[in-house]
Amino acid sequence: MKPSPTAVRRSKRFQVLEDRPVNKDGFVHEWPEQGFVAMSSPNDPSPSIEIQDGRIVELDGKLRKDFDMLDQFIADYTIDVATANEMMNTESVDIARKLVDINVSRSEVLAIVKGLTPAKIVEVLNQLNVVEMMMALQKMRARKKPSNQCHVTNVRDNPVLMAADAAEAALRGFDEQETTVGVVRYAPFNALALLVGSQTVRGGILTQDALEEATELRLAMLGLTTYAETISIYGTESVFKDGDDTPWSKSFLASAYASRGSKMRFTSGTGSEVQMAGAEGKSMLYLEIRCIMMAKGAGVQGLQNGSISCIGIPAAVPSGIRAVLAENLATTMFDLEVASGNDQTFSHSEIRRSAKMLCQMLPGTDFVFSGYSAVPNSDNMFAGSNMDSSDLDDFLIIQRDMMVDGGLRPVEESEVIEVRYQAAKTMQVLFDELGFPAITEEEIDAATYANSSDDMPKRNVMEDLKAAESVLKEGITGLDVALALANRGYHQVAERIFNMLKQRVAGDYLHTSAIIDENNIVRSAVNNENDYTGPGTGYRMSEERWEEIKNIRQAISPSEY
Amino acid sequence: MNYSYSIEMQMDDQSRAAKGSDPKEVVIAVSPAFGKALSKTIVSVEHSEVLREIISGIEEQGGVTRVIRNFETADLAFIGHLAAKLSGSGIGIGIQSRGTTIIHQRDLDPLSNLELFPQSPLITLETYRDIGRNAALYARGENVDPVPVVNDQMARPRYQAIAAILHLKEAQEIVRGKPAVNVDYSFTISEEETV
Repeated sequence: MKPSPTAVRRSKRFQVLEDRPVNKDGFVHEWPEQGFVAMSSPNDPSPSIEIQDGRIVELDGKLRKDFDMLDQFIADYTIDVATANEMMNTESVDIARKLVDINVSRSEVLAIVKGLTPAKIVEVLNQLNVVEMMMALQKMRARKKPSNQCHVTNVRDNPVLMAADAAEAALRGFDEQETTVGVVRYAPFNALALLVGSQTVRGGILTQDALEEATELRLAMLGLTTYAETISIYGTESVFKDGDDTPWSKSFLASAYASRGSKMRFTSGTGSEVQMAGAEGKSMLYLEIRCIMMAKGAGVQGLQNGSISCIGIPAAVPSGIRAVLAENLATTMFDLEVASGNDQTFSHSEIRRSAKMLCQMLPGTDFVFSGYSAVPNSDNMFAGSNMDSSDLDDFLIIQRDMMVDGGLRPVEESEVIEVRYQAAKTMQVLFDELGFPAITEEEIDAATYANSSDDMPKRNVMEDLKAAESVLKEGITGLDVALALANRGYHQVAERIFNMLKQRVAGDYLHTSAIIDENNIVRSAVNNENDYTGPGTGYRMSEERWEEIKNIRQAISPSEY
Repeated sequence: MNYSYSIEMQMDDQSRAAKGSDPKEVVIAVSPAFGKALSKTIVSVEHSEVLREIISGIEEQGGVTRVIRNFETADLAFIGHLAAKLSGSGIGIGIQSRGTTIIHQRDLDPLSNLELFPQSPLITLETYRDIGRNAALYARGENVDPVPVVNDQMARPRYQAIAAILHLKEAQEIVRGKPAVNVDYSFTISEEETV
């Protein structure tokens, strides 16, 4: 019989500690046989390469005849055989030092990394502590100016609220917005709500709808979304096959987006193979490096990683949050855009979630969050982000405390109310013009002042679903949306939506790390390349931007007394 | 004096599951370890109670239930899609040992669904009954109001690592290449006096 805990006299201090939020988190000991280990497993291979007649015949101790499909893909499409022998002969610790050294340029490091194998990259990353990784990330990020992405969703898939939330998120400074669904059939409405809501506030904001891949592609082809991100890849063959996929099928999907001029990136992250019981005993980081190299080989411009929806797994083991930073860094080492996670709840502890977030915010990444929940986490249909709308003031104040650009700006309550109203009103007009179920004045008023979906009147879900399905059935396009709004005199938002379609034809925003500014100019690693080489170089906040970040509404002016 | 009830479930794997022809049929496909190597969900609800609620939900709408066991995968989307493909009505329910559940339809892509309940720690017995009810309504070709999706953003920090351990154990029961079988099931309710 187990002794009853009450029979044992307890330390009062331990009782206080047990009630702390961090003790609601799940922690487990490492289980290397099943890949439940962050950065290094006894089953990880040792680095090696053998090249014959310009072809890799041995990779990390494995002969070509024994390659799985990821080995083959990486050997044939990612690793630069011309430089591999030389680079593989460089000591890992020397490569790690070059990553941190401000006197070694980003392009010099990129040239080295091209010739490395997955196991070698893991060995390099294991040399670095987290401060060194942040130093390296500051230098290796592709776009000079850091940015931020948000989630805009709600539990009821309410399109009026969603458009208002997208408008507010646009005002707050997010350059990319992502939604998804509670009920799959609502998907076209959610795409519409983000498109209309974001463009109501400013042109150039990119929007996406994370869905099952065929529908996600369809919405992009219709021009109702302007980028895609939820194209998942995995680090073992068995997990890839479980999803009925291969590196080649994912590459085909990537080229489908490219052929329609739509930005896209892949998604991967540590822990996914463990979660799907297919880690083959390898460390989470080793498998993630294979994903990053697969993405590079496929020719996509970027990757969302940082464990993402599996963050509870690395976060449960030692050095797990370090591994998550390491995977973000590794992505930039391959000259890929990185949308660096922070997009899922991983801890009950406010201390722990801030500490994790700073690993990406302080060095800056292409998108520090992917994304930040612009709505309350109770409405976040990605199952909650590391920070949500109730943390916005904390985030703005951390930007100000540290003089760091996390991509957001302080806003006035009156401005927020105004843009939310405009977005909801625009949706009402659009729904009327397209013959969709009416949006009432009561709904517009509720959405204007709402915090969450609890504040919204209920809609007739079945009528909404019928109309949402008609978007796909009838093939309603972004152009139809722009025309409908122009017909009703909403010229500014119509023009902005039309401009997003023009971007698809121009194709400039297919470049690495592209965002589009308020003047409809693409800012990417081509015209805004990160040139960090130590103090005084790289991204430095402009005077204007610093004024904006400084002026939080809570600050008291000395002249007030 | 109080009484407590416990539900015993017998599940016997039978012959290979074929495609059904009854238009009222809803097939429930369980994962490899369900009710065998594992017997409780992630929040320690007995598999017997879960299955009984889903079946009750189906039958109170006039649906006909068939339970099958899938051996080939632990992936919920494919378990659910298999159920739908073998179902006489084209509507199927997939369920994993940890409790995650999906309602599927045979003409949809495997990774799509009619309704998905991804956060296993939050699914109550009442929800399982509603899932059964909705599946039966889809089978009748009705317009169905989806079961409200419950969302707790803090389920992941608490349960994700445990969910992974349960899934690893589930995956150990996979038998590659073994076709799904029909499952005979019966429930025995026993009543106990407790002081």
